[in-house]
Amino acid sequence: MAHYTELNIGPIHPAVHGILKFKVKLQEEIIEDVEITLGFLHRNAEKICELNYYADNMVYFDRMDYIDAMNMELGYLTAVEKLMDMEVPERAQWIRMIMAELNRLAARLVGLGAFGLDMGMLTPFFHCFIEREKIQKIFVEASGGRQEVNYMSIGGVYQDFNDQIINDIREFLKEFKPYLEDIYGMFMHSEIFWQRNDGIGILEPDVALDYGVTGPLLRGSGIAYDVRKDAPYLFYDKVNFNIPISHKKDNMGRFILKVEEMRQSIRIIEQSIDKIPDGPYFNNKAKKSMMLRLKGDGEVFSRVESENGEFGVYVRGNGTFKPWRVHVRSPAFKNISVVPVMAKGMMIADLIVIIGSVDTVIGEIDR
Amino acid sequence: MNLLTRIHEWFSFLGNPASYAIGYLLETLFIIMFVGISFIALIYIFRKYMARIQRRIGPNRVGKFGLLQLIADALKLIGKESILPEGRDDLAYKIAPLIIMIATLVSFIILPFGDLTYFGSLTITHSKITLILLFGILSILPIGEILGGMSTRSNYALIGTMRAVAKDVSFEVPMLISALAIVMISSRSFVTGNAIVGGFNLSTIVTDQIIPYGIIEPVGLIVFFISMIARASYTPYDLAESDSELITGYTTEYSGMRFGLFYIGLFGMIYLGSFFISILYLAGSNGPVTTDLGFIYLFIKTDILVLIAFLIWVSLPRIRIDKFVNLGWKYLLPLSVINLVYAGFFILYIR
Repeated sequence: MAHYTELNIGPIHPAVHGILKFKVKLQEEIIEDVEITLGFLHRNAEKICELNYYADNMVYFDRMDYIDAMNMELGYLTAVEKLMDMEVPERAQWIRMIMAELNRLAARLVGLGAFGLDMGMLTPFFHCFIEREKIQKIFVEASGGRQEVNYMSIGGVYQDFNDQIINDIREFLKEFKPYLEDIYGMFMHSEIFWQRNDGIGILEPDVALDYGVTGPLLRGSGIAYDVRKDAPYLFYDKVNFNIPISHKKDNMGRFILKVEEMRQSIRIIEQSIDKIPDGPYFNNKAKKSMMLRLKGDGEVFSRVESENGEFGVYVRGNGTFKPWRVHVRSPAFKNISVVPVMAKGMMIADLIVIIGSVDTVIGEIDR
Repeated sequence: MNLLTRIHEWFSFLGNPASYAIGYLLETLFIIMFVGISFIALIYIFRKYMARIQRRIGPNRVGKFGLLQLIADALKLIGKESILPEGRDDLAYKIAPLIIMIATLVSFIILPFGDLTYFGSLTITHSKITLILLFGILSILPIGEILGGMSTRSNYALIGTMRAVAKDVSFEVPMLISALAIVMISSRSFVTGNAIVGGFNLSTIVTDQIIPYGIIEPVGLIVFFISMIARASYTPYDLAESDSELITGYTTEYSGMRFGLFYIGLFGMIYLGSFFISILYLAGSNGPVTTDLGFIYLFIKTDILVLIAFLIWVSLPRIRIDKFVNLGWKYLLPLSVINLVYAGFFILYIR
């Protein structure tokens, strides 16, 4: 008869990114079964959204995927603006796109640093966070917030880009490109890093589709699905960028893919920063209404590509100032549920690396 | 005239046994204090060095240039509440950190430290079997790890202990065989060409190293260095307390100064191992100009080795347990045996 060791990884544990629990059944060091417990960070955000005016809900979306706040706001706004038939000026849309991509870079940097830390790699973590700090400084200039920015609002953005911010972004990109290659090299030049990731955490494409996995995890299994390309929002159809995919299906493939996506994000920002037109950064209709007297009617579902995958927001209004129902399709929730499949038969050290590779944000899962 | 006889002369009014006892005691204290202070300085240098690698500033708040940071950290550890886990085996729980720390500290007094101008020879232990004695004391360390891990009844500690034992078993053997090759080479004197009895004596090994043995058998040096990092539990081989998987492995349930003692033991282990390597392979206290500064030469060699180990620590990820044990049994062990055979050929034919 088999004898198991039961190990609780989490809720408070250095390996889990946030608060969740993995109940692991171990045979010596081999994983027999993983059971995930979620809900430690549940804040009832969707229900709270029903109690507030449309414009006030931005802060709750900021705190869902708290390291990718811009894309969360974007997800909510695309839905709400569709609901209200609110036009967004072109300048605001370009600004939103730049900010979303900058935040994607920042989120990826956190992911890479934490991924290294999961393997006991100390140094890249600091390099990643120092680079991320520069992005956050740009956010501070634009919005006043570092992480939970609350920058975008219905009908535009909170504050216009001035020359200073545009210069800063240009300068940051110029400095960041060689640093990204440095950080990439820190991982890739290490034989042990290859040993730890090559062939670990294999996710077959059909399994990924069954579980509804999106984002880098799905593209790492060889399926080129990205909302930015397949259902373009903002002006993603007006810039040139590629959707990288990997056929390796393992951690290593996903890692290379994520770094390649960062390069593509840089490309997008570089193109869009030259294309920002002059004009208003805010829809006057929304501004005059003080953001509060905005009514929505009907139901919409809109989706954006956040760092973890397809972030969908469903909003239903009943003609009042407050939404009747808000629901979020969380990509990280789908992604984390595939971890037991990937970790089965692996060693406990591999589980940690797989969690790091899936790179979930608990704020978004539990909401 | 060395330090011991000097102290003995100062206290000679107490009679022979008492003055020698005081002499040994004071010399031991002196050495351990010197080692401790130099290690604190080394850690300060390392933290600054690590900060440079990681694009940080490093400690610069406590004391001048942050020099007192480590002392502040130690005081913080002492001031922390020592939480005792429920269902522990009390004696084993409390004795384990002491075993680790005392075994590491005691090992330092066996090493031949060489001469220092006025003080003369600083070597404390004069025995023909110091090498065996040192390995004997080092083999106490796993006992502390097992006691500490198993006494707390935590699953993390259990897996950590399993890993610690695997580590100690699979890396002690290559380490011993590499040291055996040194014993073989040093069993015949370089100076006179005659067979000598002092093969197990660290002092003889040092004085006999006209060419550092690391040049004669580089394979042994590499094997010994890797095993030393592994036994001292440093990344990439820090599986026993891998913080991202097992929190801190067998020390998970320890807190406050008891945890600090484990920590001192591990930090001491890397220092001790570096001393050991510079004695066995890098000609210890032998230096280029004068023999009077042997102590300083030894410290410089050791510090460079420690910094290399720290550099590996900050730059590499952690290896997986199966690959780790493979490394010990499938690569290092055959290499060390080949090195042993090579040492035999070396004495018989090359020299």
